[in-house]
Amino acid sequence: MADRRPVPFRGGGFSPIPVRHAAAIGFAVLLALWEFAVRHGLVSPLFLPAPTTVVAALGDLWTAGTLWQHVSESLVRLIGGWCLGTLAGLAAGLAMGVWSLGRAVGVPLVSALFPIPKISLLPLLILWLGIGEASKIATIALGVFFPTVIATYSAIDAVPRNLIRMAQSFGLPARDVLRKIVLPGALPGILAGFRISTSIALILLVSAEMIGAQYGIGAFVLQAGNLMLTDQLLAGVLLISLLGLAIGTGLTQLERRLLRWR
Amino acid sequence: MIRLSRRAAVAGAFATISAPAALRAQTLRKTSVGVLRLSSSGPVFIAAERGYWREAGLDVELKFFTAAQQVPVAVTSGDAEFGVTGLTASFFNLAGKGALKIIASQSREAKGFPLVAYMVTNAAYDKGFRSVRDFAGKRVGITTTGSTFHYELGLLAKKYGFELSSVTLVPLQTLPNMQAAFKGGQVDAILAPVTLARALTADNSGKVLAWAGDETPWQLGALFTSPRAIAERRDLVERFVRGYLRGTADFNAAFNQRDAAGKEVHGTNFAETIGVVARAVQQSPELVAVGLPFVDALGRLDVGDIYNQIAFWQQAGLVGRDVNGREIVDLSFVRGHLNVPKS
Amino acid sequence: MRLVCESVGHKYGALDVLDGIGLTVADGECLAVVGPSGCGKSTLLGIMGGLVEPTAGRVFVEGAAPAGSLNPITYVFQDFALLPWRSVASNVALALEHHPLDAQVLAARVDDALARTGLREFRDAFPKQLSGGMRQRVGIARALAVAPAVLLMDEPLSALDAQTRELLMEDFLALWLAARTTSVYVTHNLHEALRLADRICVLSRRPGRIKQIVGVGVPQADRALPAAARAMAELAEQLWHAVRAEAVDAEREVADG
Ligand SMILES: Nc1ncnc2c1ncn2[C@@H]1O[C@H](COP(=O)(O)OP(=O)(O)OP(=O)(O)O)[C@@H](O)[C@H]1O
Ligand SMILES: [Mg+2]
Repeated sequence: MADRRPVPFRGGGFSPIPVRHAAAIGFAVLLALWEFAVRHGLVSPLFLPAPTTVVAALGDLWTAGTLWQHVSESLVRLIGGWCLGTLAGLAAGLAMGVWSLGRAVGVPLVSALFPIPKISLLPLLILWLGIGEASKIATIALGVFFPTVIATYSAIDAVPRNLIRMAQSFGLPARDVLRKIVLPGALPGILAGFRISTSIALILLVSAEMIGAQYGIGAFVLQAGNLMLTDQLLAGVLLISLLGLAIGTGLTQLERRLLRWR
Repeated sequence: MIRLSRRAAVAGAFATISAPAALRAQTLRKTSVGVLRLSSSGPVFIAAERGYWREAGLDVELKFFTAAQQVPVAVTSGDAEFGVTGLTASFFNLAGKGALKIIASQSREAKGFPLVAYMVTNAAYDKGFRSVRDFAGKRVGITTTGSTFHYELGLLAKKYGFELSSVTLVPLQTLPNMQAAFKGGQVDAILAPVTLARALTADNSGKVLAWAGDETPWQLGALFTSPRAIAERRDLVERFVRGYLRGTADFNAAFNQRDAAGKEVHGTNFAETIGVVARAVQQSPELVAVGLPFVDALGRLDVGDIYNQIAFWQQAGLVGRDVNGREIVDLSFVRGHLNVPKS
Repeated sequence: MRLVCESVGHKYGALDVLDGIGLTVADGECLAVVGPSGCGKSTLLGIMGGLVEPTAGRVFVEGAAPAGSLNPITYVFQDFALLPWRSVASNVALALEHHPLDAQVLAARVDDALARTGLREFRDAFPKQLSGGMRQRVGIARALAVAPAVLLMDEPLSALDAQTRELLMEDFLALWLAARTTSVYVTHNLHEALRLADRICVLSRRPGRIKQIVGVGVPQADRALPAAARAMAELAEQLWHAVRAEAVDAEREVADG
């Protein structure tokens, strides 16, 4: 054939494939650029402290022995607040997911209360609970509660109804339907909700520690901001990010173990 | 225009003498000042309203901010060329990095000017917390570490010889939080701005022990700009200060007059001037009249106190040791500064 | 055990779905139900199994359930209804766990059901690892494990490809011939109905009424024989006419509506 041409390849692209070490290298390049820009006066260290300065500020905390105090006090508040908000949120979400009256009452209530900025409630929380740990934990719990409720009842809604009918057709009692069908079926949605609620807990840490806290990562960030100590500010922010990263990794592990069937 | 301003900068002081009439007839030079809507910034509002800067050849834009901390940041970042606010540890940290220079006074805590109250809860009062000497061992609510309230307690500690470290300072960030903690008895005392103090006494939530101005007068606020503006546009800075000082003079004449017994009397143009301030801070003239601070008519700074502030913050570990008062204050724009330490 | 429907009717709000269904499924009989799409077959099956409450009429069972039956009326679902987070064996066990059984008895029953459906090697697999046919085998195993007295099947093979369907149908027939459980088999597929059922019930278009009940004279075991071919073909022709008329009318209704 005289008129013979190869068919040109026009597929490919648009399908990200994992590139090894790309994340680490990208991160390192960014940090190096940042450091370079500050060292050579392209950016004022006042506006953007160099990464080494930030790490040094963290080191100062370490040598002063207050790092652990900040972290541990914050962890107590985070864990306490998150567990409290999550337990209450799961219970309310479950009630709204399986019980018509619960849903009828709960949905408008959640819509009305969720968008309230929790910071605006701080004065009330102080009046109710004082300025000790209770009000700080409550701030975080409150922030965690609503997204958990929403995640839980949406996850329950997403459990295929035919699985529930199946269980009923085999005569499973309501308790077992809940335990063996509804809850495991809702687990992926609930775990996805945990990602959001743990992040919210971290975000609210700073708000919570606005209430008369002397130690805590949030209190440290707040004070650094108030004093315009930008290197300390970023050191605190770095701590919060690291905490977020650790929690995210932990959740991924948990998902891997619990949701192996997917 | 560019050439003119450059020449003016080089010519320095000469320009102020030779240029005004000619310049005024031509275009006004644009600049800006960052302020909060507080009556302590009254001189700025007055100078703007009465055209004092226009007469000095400037077109000054007022940039409003909502927190004291934002104003020095705005001047540092170049969003505003001048700024007026209270002095805090945060201010000195920025200034210490070579970003700011103080050039004139704003308000001062002074005797007979009730601006900030030491307030105790009724419960603490009943348990014997009845004097400003009794702060040791108590829990005291303040906004933030490094705030003006923090410094005022430091001055009190020094005056009455108690250790500030024996007082538990509870940073509560906002006035509503402080109010809530006070009413709920979570703290024994707070430092309350006059409006909050009046509200708390009115509903009998606590008692005023004393006013900071009576106990420990100090340089509360200042006018500042960037070192670069001073170096490159000295003429403009001088014009700005000239207009500003006419504002301080009017403010002082209208609001800071006292009779022989120390009682407040209405000064020159009181009603009209309070109208200017009230419009700017967006409150009723009656409310503004309650919390008028002392402003030096000539814009003079209590320089010794500023040095003392820096030393205090450094000792508390909140401001770097390398910050030096001499580099932060420029005494050349206002004559006759007070309490200037002999070097 | 017999299953009796007495003038069963059903309305979803204003939508009249079933009307005056009177029907008896005899002990050990397999009744197929065919009819145009949307005529209420699934609804009828739901009513028979107590999953849908009829708005008119009642359903009864008569006679004793066989010894060892844990769930007299048992379903096999079109979409298998397997729990994706449970293994094959565990899915089968779900039907038994809430009964007071010894762990050993339970395990034996699961084993037996898996053996009968050829799933023994897959007992630890998860549903996502199985083919469609395998998944429906799990559904059948789960139903067998409770030793049902009445088996209700809603298009159990319609989600499968043609070859798998054919194979599974043969397996199913063998199982049914061995146990002769009273069964109701809903299907769109006349071929399946003719292969498995003793009688075939044709429903009219919505609201579903019984249009015709046809008995298949030939025993299931003999239907594939050449000798039965002619009789089976005639029956198929007759059924197709009945179903086609309803289906065409139903289509028109949809087009007009
Ligand atoms: N829960 C419900 N609520 C309201 N209408 C429903 C409901 N379930 C079914 N219907 C309607 O009732 C009619 C009969 O439904 P059904 O599922 O019983 O029909 P079917 O004969 O099984 O159809 P198919 O052959 O498509 O499976 C349909 O028109 C359907 O849209
Ligand atoms: Mg159906």
